[in-house]
Amino acid sequence: MAKSLLLISRQSPWSGPGAREALDIILAGGAFDLPIGLLFLDDGVHQLLPGQNAKAVQQKDLSANLQALPLFGIEDLFVCADSAAERGIDTEALGLDGLKVLTAPDIAALIDRYDQVITL
Amino acid sequence: MPTLHVLSHSPFGDNRLASCLRVLGDKDALLLCGDATYALQSGTAPFARLQATGLKLFALAEDVQARGLSAPDWAETIDYPAFVELSIQHDKVNTWL
Repeated sequence: MAKSLLLISRQSPWSGPGAREALDIILAGGAFDLPIGLLFLDDGVHQLLPGQNAKAVQQKDLSANLQALPLFGIEDLFVCADSAAERGIDTEALGLDGLKVLTAPDIAALIDRYDQVITL
Repeated sequence: MPTLHVLSHSPFGDNRLASCLRVLGDKDALLLCGDATYALQSGTAPFARLQATGLKLFALAEDVQARGLSAPDWAETIDYPAFVELSIQHDKVNTWL
């Protein structure tokens, strides 16, 4: 039985390569059929905002990649309720299907449940 | 499945410490190394926050010494072999990169 992996992505999509690298790890894990989960925490919740325009800063958009996660078998997607609230983000308006909104105690239990955790 | 959380960034530069404390499980432990040990400076907000949690707190002794800090009695300073031991004792290590 493969070990399960939780990836905690806590960087904004425009602050550097962190967000994209987290996504690369997730997709690599998915390709090997690892039981894998992705949690958006802190500034990582900014990756989920609709209406981003990567071209304005001559970069590529992460949104399309995020939308494609279920196609790669990655369906355990979570977002931290506190992180979203602090940033004035309505989790109802986030455009990612199957995204589960978790409170701090939920997240503690989530981390507990996985075999391995990577925070980027 | 207790987790050892490892912080290495200054608590004054970002919100890793705050977020880590928020999602810490009952049986989890926290290890401070590198600039994260600046949280042990008494009289600061991170110091007060750590003291109030009453969690199992460890700090890498050489990083504490290098910075001229002294750990309070509610934090245990450890060396690298003890860090390895601590990593093995916990089910997993979550390093807040």
